[in-house]
Amino acid sequence: MSEKKLNHIGKGYDRKEAQEKVTGQAVYVHDMEVPGMLYAKVLISPYAHAEIVSIDCSEAKRLKGVKAVVTGKEACQRVGLYMVDKNIMAGEKVRYQGEIVSAVVAETEAIAEEAVTLIKVEYKPLPIIDSLDEALKGKNLVHEKLHTYEHMKGVFFPQKDSNIASWNRTKKGDIKKGFEEADFIFEEEYTLPAVAHVPMETHVAIAQADPYSDKVKVWSSAQSPFAVRQLLAKSLGIAKGDVNVIVPYVGGGFGGKAGVHLEPLVSVLSRAVHGRPVKLKMTREEEFNTLPTRAEMRARFKTGMTKEGKITAMEVYHDWDSGAYADYGVNVGKTAVYSGAGPYAVPNIELHSRTIYTNKVFSTAYRGFGHLETHWAVERHMDMMAQKLKIDPYDLRMKNLLRPGDTTISGELVYPTTGDPVACLDAVSKELGWKGRKSEEERKQEMRTGKVRGKGFAMLHKAPAMPSYTSTAAIMQMDEDGHVKVMLGAVDFGQGANTIMAQVAAEELRLPIKDVEVVWNVETDKHPYDWNTVASKHAFMGGNAVRKAAGSMIQQMKEVAGQVLRCHPDELTHGDGYIYHIHQTHRRLSYVDLSMGYAYENGNGIGGPLIAHGIYMASGLTNPDPETGQGRPGLVWTFGAHGVDLEVDVETGEVNILRVVSAFDIGKVINKKLVDGQVFGGIVQGVGSALIEGYKFDEDRKLLNPYFGDNRIPSSKDIPDEVKAIYIEEPKTAQVDGPYGARGIGEHPMISMPSAIGNALYEALGINFHKLPFTPENVALAIDKHLRNDV
Amino acid sequence: MLSKFEYVKPETLEEAVGFLGSHPETKILAGGTDLMVLLRRNLLITDHILDIKGIQDLDRLEYKRGEGLYIGATVRVNEIAENSMIQKKYRALHQAAGALASHQLRNRATLVGNICNASPGADLSSPLLVFNAKVHVQGPEGKRELKIEDFFTGVKKNALEKGEIVTGILLPEVNDGDTSYFKKQSRVKGHDLATVGISIRRTAEKETLVGMAAIAPTPIRLRELEKKLKNRDFNEETAEWLKVEIKHHLKPISDVRASKEYRFLASGALGKKIMMAMIEEGVK
Amino acid sequence: MCSTAKKKGNCIEYTDSGLPKTAIRFEVNGDNFEKKVDPTMTLLQLLNNELKLFGTKEGCGEGECGACSIIMNGKAVNSCLVLAAEADGASILTVEGLGQGNKLSILQQEFIKYDALQCGFCTPGMLMSARSLLDRDKDPNDDEIKEAIEGNFCRCTGYIPIIDAIRSAAKREREELK
Repeated sequence: MSEKKLNHIGKGYDRKEAQEKVTGQAVYVHDMEVPGMLYAKVLISPYAHAEIVSIDCSEAKRLKGVKAVVTGKEACQRVGLYMVDKNIMAGEKVRYQGEIVSAVVAETEAIAEEAVTLIKVEYKPLPIIDSLDEALKGKNLVHEKLHTYEHMKGVFFPQKDSNIASWNRTKKGDIKKGFEEADFIFEEEYTLPAVAHVPMETHVAIAQADPYSDKVKVWSSAQSPFAVRQLLAKSLGIAKGDVNVIVPYVGGGFGGKAGVHLEPLVSVLSRAVHGRPVKLKMTREEEFNTLPTRAEMRARFKTGMTKEGKITAMEVYHDWDSGAYADYGVNVGKTAVYSGAGPYAVPNIELHSRTIYTNKVFSTAYRGFGHLETHWAVERHMDMMAQKLKIDPYDLRMKNLLRPGDTTISGELVYPTTGDPVACLDAVSKELGWKGRKSEEERKQEMRTGKVRGKGFAMLHKAPAMPSYTSTAAIMQMDEDGHVKVMLGAVDFGQGANTIMAQVAAEELRLPIKDVEVVWNVETDKHPYDWNTVASKHAFMGGNAVRKAAGSMIQQMKEVAGQVLRCHPDELTHGDGYIYHIHQTHRRLSYVDLSMGYAYENGNGIGGPLIAHGIYMASGLTNPDPETGQGRPGLVWTFGAHGVDLEVDVETGEVNILRVVSAFDIGKVINKKLVDGQVFGGIVQGVGSALIEGYKFDEDRKLLNPYFGDNRIPSSKDIPDEVKAIYIEEPKTAQVDGPYGARGIGEHPMISMPSAIGNALYEALGINFHKLPFTPENVALAIDKHLRNDV
Repeated sequence: MLSKFEYVKPETLEEAVGFLGSHPETKILAGGTDLMVLLRRNLLITDHILDIKGIQDLDRLEYKRGEGLYIGATVRVNEIAENSMIQKKYRALHQAAGALASHQLRNRATLVGNICNASPGADLSSPLLVFNAKVHVQGPEGKRELKIEDFFTGVKKNALEKGEIVTGILLPEVNDGDTSYFKKQSRVKGHDLATVGISIRRTAEKETLVGMAAIAPTPIRLRELEKKLKNRDFNEETAEWLKVEIKHHLKPISDVRASKEYRFLASGALGKKIMMAMIEEGVK
Repeated sequence: MCSTAKKKGNCIEYTDSGLPKTAIRFEVNGDNFEKKVDPTMTLLQLLNNELKLFGTKEGCGEGECGACSIIMNGKAVNSCLVLAAEADGASILTVEGLGQGNKLSILQQEFIKYDALQCGFCTPGMLMSARSLLDRDKDPNDDEIKEAIEGNFCRCTGYIPIIDAIRSAAKREREELK
């Protein structure tokens, strides 16, 4: 890792699009109007599981201003890539309360809303599969034809005649032997509910389907325009080239907009109105009730430990309640196979990750992609084992953390440059002031004051979960002023991607930051491919692609300049807007003079417009073995740790987070302001999962809290009193194959917040929580029970 | 919103009452923070909306020594929360007003609207109960006055007859040495409805009044508890006693917001906290 | 009787659904308007659809998230809960009215400097709540800042940079605006 001076990397520049956003000029699909546009509204199912006996749209169709009413009969195409289990609209039956059953297209939203109330649907309720255990019994099935569904073979494993969409496994070593070597075996179970992403801009899409050809144009609030293109084309049975997806500013994603959601539906609706553009905007209630969530999950750990505190074996069951559909859910389930036991060296393990269907709103990608859920369980489990072994939780983790030379549970070798979880735990422990556990006496004394304090910490790690051959690309163009425009297929939905990429380009091209712009409004017809803007991989992958593109542009300039200056291109270097000879520095040409090719005095022109591209292909990844999950799935690992210092009001159960200290081995901070933003935002979103959020259903699996009123997220008053972020930028452990040593950070700050808080609550109260969230109610009732048991 | 309504804005109370008489399904619009949500969710369908903000005198917020505090129907919750005289004399009302929803909602919501909506958990209900507020009503038959306790008749039901409108609320005078306190338990630290709400008032004559919200079908006075507190001093022992005793006077339910078990716990916790806060201020 | 359309002696217009439109006169960001509106229209819809001012956003339509916050007659309100009809006679400030000429206001500059935004969807409403706070209190402490923006949800930033930005803007306004 060279230590040369960096001009732009490490600078906390303002984000490039800030002005548009603070003036109200930024246009989101929510705001958009397209000529000829019509408006759509949907009818959702009141039942969690029911046959659709009949749908009578006649009255709705007759309402003045209604242009079309569409049901599952017309929108029967399948959607999906990994587990193709979903129709664009419910067909023969509905599988969750909230599922879209019909849609109206009308001249105004108001007319569409009224028409929806005129649609008459007859349902025949079916037995409801209302829990993981009920689903695992397999008596009633959410998907009777599961075994006929198209899916990625060898990657996902649907179990015929069951509710298991996929059963993925890791098998390493010999757990039977491992458990025999253990002095203690600990078994625990942890659960957490489904939560919503809550982007401030709800899902919205506009589609314009050409009635005379296959062409479809879609504007969508989406994270992954190329995934939308791919899935939409597959769904409608058309060529990808016939689909153009445009993404302007996006009001938040968090994984909820990572896949394809409304786009196929609006495309079908546009076709139903002879190609007029149709806009469908989800209300906040529909966002909660109809659109997918993070999965509900139950983790069961059985761990063998020596009395010194070394892990000898683990047997893990991660059961994901993916709700009614699992196209993205199976991915989350599969991912747990390579990281679902925490950042620890586990010599023998069998990990089962089952993605399971039930009758509730379905699950999708969510910030952390299963890692918040698995690390909620494993980091609580580590803490509880430390309690029982009477080993300090810091020491217990230190004994088992992954170190260079160790292998992960999927057999991936850890290098020094994979990252340093030990350094993260050390940093957090020091900053938190961890001095060891409280005694029960101390706790009892403090309880009497009505307020108790506790400190806790938890580890985290994550690598992207993506196909082993995922790639990205960047295109660069120079204009006549010597300014550069960069085009990427990834979407900046607030995480700062475009600013980071501009910094990378400016660094490589040695241009002022103001002369480099990343082009907004990603359009699949114009911009180069990017898989999905997810997985905290864009700084790494996109950064590498941009560096290559910059290198190519410089090389093009050097080749033309070499002719003009009459020297070999290798004798040239660049900077200050010039290509110049490395020794006789006055022999030079400006970027401006090269931007459109070079024109000699006599009129001859050589070269041409400077357009460069760069690609990055994920290097050295392999598919996990279908039986054992062994392979190399993790492109870039980011390790981290959270420390929490909190106070509990033992009478009301209110948890007050006084301080969060977090450390991440990020390799290189490209822009501290933007990285801080991801850290603060992720931590607070983690606080939401820990203290506030959780879907509630009645006995018929109808969602009880589809409004902000009863489904709250952290407000300005719910944040920790203090947050401190520590960034480890140690060259020896930085990401050497990444841009300047940088790794991803977007998801990581949210992971393990609930476990760190849970561990601090144990310190404070002497109570081990196995469920989320730690609402005042849940904490107060647990304290009350604990005190009554003690008496 | 499916409702297709006409919007009318009378300038006098007579006009308003007259209109309500001839159009009985008319919905009254003051702050709109409850009404607009009900309309949007189509829980309410109406053909007429009558905006009372054009009517003179309904916006009167006035304290008169010897008479008490008059709060007109269109007085905004923030006006109450930001009023230093109310903070001094009717502190529980000041605290409840400040705890209602968010700043933006308090700029629109009205106290009268809050009690007319008659949610069992209405934030402003418990202070009005302990101050024995009087509700001023005008209707086709003329004016009448109701005790606040009689105003709440059921879940989201109030005692107004057809064509009647609440014009204001009067909180009788409080003497020196009278003190009150309000606390609310929510699910989050940010703006939220009440899981439980409680107001305690101790008069100069050492009478204790206790009002609660979100623990019964309507906001209620805990009269039996008040009797038990009648001869007790305010001290730590009483506070601990109150924490346990209060549960016997509640009939909470479990709903999406909270279980009844937690409502019992929270009521005890808040009751004790209020008493301790008052003790710290020197209340005996 | 008292419908404002009749009062002003204008001819009555009707909506497509047969409702008499309400005549309103109001000012937004210094510009005066006269409109006849569907009585069921909200102020948010008036701003977005009639005036094509899209800066103010709909986050929930129920007054919980604050994305639609604007300043009406000097008070921060959720425009999704105000009927357009109620804007008669009102003076309204939206995010589009914060800058002065071609210069960003101090508040907007500090939002940029502290990166008090990410996706930007909550930002217009957040700015209006901040503007309202600084209009009422030139030197708010952190608790007062949190109170002022309590009704503005942000899912991206965790609020910390927003609080920093408002604190800094308050200081600059005290020093620079005399």
